[in-house]
Amino acid sequence: MISLLEIARRSQEGPKVTDRDWEMGLFQKMKALAEKYQIRYPADGSWFNHDPSLVDRAFEAALEFLIDRGIFCVSTGRIIQLTEAEIRTALREAPRQILMGEGRDQRVFRQQKIEGPGPLNFCPGHHSPFTEELAPLVVQNFAQIPRTDFLEGFNFSSVGGYEIVGTPMEAYASRRQLAWMREGIAQAGRPGLAIVYYPLNTRPAAMLAGLDPIHGLRPTDGILISALPDVKVESDMLAAALVYEEYGAFKISGSFAIAGGFCGGLEGAVIEGIVKPIAAMIVYRVSLQYTGVEHTSNLSSLKITLQPYNWARSLVNQVLNTKTPIICMAWVIPTSGPGTETNLLETAIRSIEAPINGANLYAPRHSRARMNAGQTPLEAQWALEVSDATIRAGWNREKAGEVLWRIAERLKDRPPEEGFPIQECYDLVNHRPRPAYQDLYGRVKEELSRLGLPLKDGP
Amino acid sequence: MVAEGTSGGKAQELLDHLKNQIVACDMEGSIAAARQVVDARIDPIWAMKYAIGEAARIVGEKFDAGDYYLPHLVMAGDAMAAVGEVFEKVLPQDRTTAKKVVVIGTVEGDMHSVGKNIVAMMLKAGGFTVYDLGVDVKSSAFIAKAKEVRADIIALSSLLTTTLPYQREVIEDLKAQGIRDRFKILIGGGPVTPEWAERIGADGLGKDAVEGLKVAKALVGME
Repeated sequence: MISLLEIARRSQEGPKVTDRDWEMGLFQKMKALAEKYQIRYPADGSWFNHDPSLVDRAFEAALEFLIDRGIFCVSTGRIIQLTEAEIRTALREAPRQILMGEGRDQRVFRQQKIEGPGPLNFCPGHHSPFTEELAPLVVQNFAQIPRTDFLEGFNFSSVGGYEIVGTPMEAYASRRQLAWMREGIAQAGRPGLAIVYYPLNTRPAAMLAGLDPIHGLRPTDGILISALPDVKVESDMLAAALVYEEYGAFKISGSFAIAGGFCGGLEGAVIEGIVKPIAAMIVYRVSLQYTGVEHTSNLSSLKITLQPYNWARSLVNQVLNTKTPIICMAWVIPTSGPGTETNLLETAIRSIEAPINGANLYAPRHSRARMNAGQTPLEAQWALEVSDATIRAGWNREKAGEVLWRIAERLKDRPPEEGFPIQECYDLVNHRPRPAYQDLYGRVKEELSRLGLPLKDGP
Repeated sequence: MVAEGTSGGKAQELLDHLKNQIVACDMEGSIAAARQVVDARIDPIWAMKYAIGEAARIVGEKFDAGDYYLPHLVMAGDAMAAVGEVFEKVLPQDRTTAKKVVVIGTVEGDMHSVGKNIVAMMLKAGGFTVYDLGVDVKSSAFIAKAKEVRADIIALSSLLTTTLPYQREVIEDLKAQGIRDRFKILIGGGPVTPEWAERIGADGLGKDAVEGLKVAKALVGME
């Protein structure tokens, strides 16, 4: 595969282009490719994509984009150009599974099959803001979920009474985040569990300060290094990728496309949803990616957005799972906050989709999470419960789609609900939902069972 | 609406055509339509208010409905700016309209741009002159540009919790220079809350692009 040093060189020497020209050029190219390869939402009532030829065409469209346009480095204002041979070699050589964690908590994280048998790999939580006094206890609660394969860090705004602002504090806070993660997983009896650093800032000091096998990141841990929207990358992230590649830690990227942005509408987002993970794999050597298509209104928690974005997400994941080695994760990001019915229904939808789309489960959390109010362990366990039930039932796309439309009907015209802080709906000391949330969960579980989801008793 | 030598119906037709060209994001069509309006001697102030104003409203609604995307906002904004230039040339000196000016950017240490881009384009489509400084913008750069272009609003975007303090830094630096009152400060971004806005003394907060435009207009007394 093309070396990261060569990538770095091309980011410094490639053709220059302004941000504006790159962005508008991306839009025009995506539009042209969608037309050329006939990428179109069929609007036939299908929840998932059922057209295998569209999988082939979408992949070719993405390849053509990368060959023709390349990847834009925002830090240098230059294009990283790649040949078709380099891209195809990367797709051939990248790993389809990775090893993480240590001892009895060592795990193999692998690419899943469409409508596959699973079981899904699972990261239950974080990528959400928590205050420092809650941190290790929150980590412990999530780490205690037995199926947890890795746990991601979290955001916070102050440490030791100091506001986190500026490079020195960012570096210090990064080390604290990882130290709390290590403490929390040890308290859960899982000292070897893989943890993933969540960047408090993307500057190199914050990205590299946590490299510490004793108190911070071990070579068996990971780091979030995300490609930016509009097929953009950054020099600071490339620097971190270079260092972590030698250190051994695995890398994760948030590689979904955002419909409504410069990629254009649904069809452009499908193409970007395929291009971006391939770009992240080549430029940052990312192993795991949360993939698919989202809409700006979903990410801003403005409204509950379902079809046709669910269809687009399925098409993207079908391409990535059948044409590339990329290990996909389904990012479960309800527009409603924890402790609400709409959150549990939205989470259920994503969790039914995940095994059908060949995506592992990743960090259910409110799409616009507030401090201490992004997630609780209950949503994570619920996501796992629902996806396991889907796998156990042996559903294919048609059957899963029938049930999903029924659940979607329950969400029709409902606005997102803000939700509650974790302490109000989850007892972190006794590791269980508060009674009201437990009751709500029970009611939603019963309702979805009536709609056709074969849920077991528990948890 | 004053249109010398042009019937009211014909004038409306020309203005609607201009509006439709802008909504269609057709730059050349918009310029040609603007020239037709000028040739028909329709009051340029009225033409700008009606055609550009209505076009901006429609484009904003289409974006909100998911029918238009960010590039449409860019193209419509460009068309509006070009049309504005056509009309400005024929305005008598004492009737030239001064557009309200916004300097926008993502604050220092933050590379996120999607939300900021959408807001910038909505503001442009909404009738503001917008100077987009990009991402990772230092406080000094915001202030220098705002002074240079005599901005009405400085709009600060932040998507990371750890870069929120740089929004406060801009306000503190303005106070230190004794020029806080010269600019309205509008903030936005994922972690931004009303409590934060109040704590740092921002003048307004937009939780999304549509609200950002509304708040920006209110801050400068635009309808």
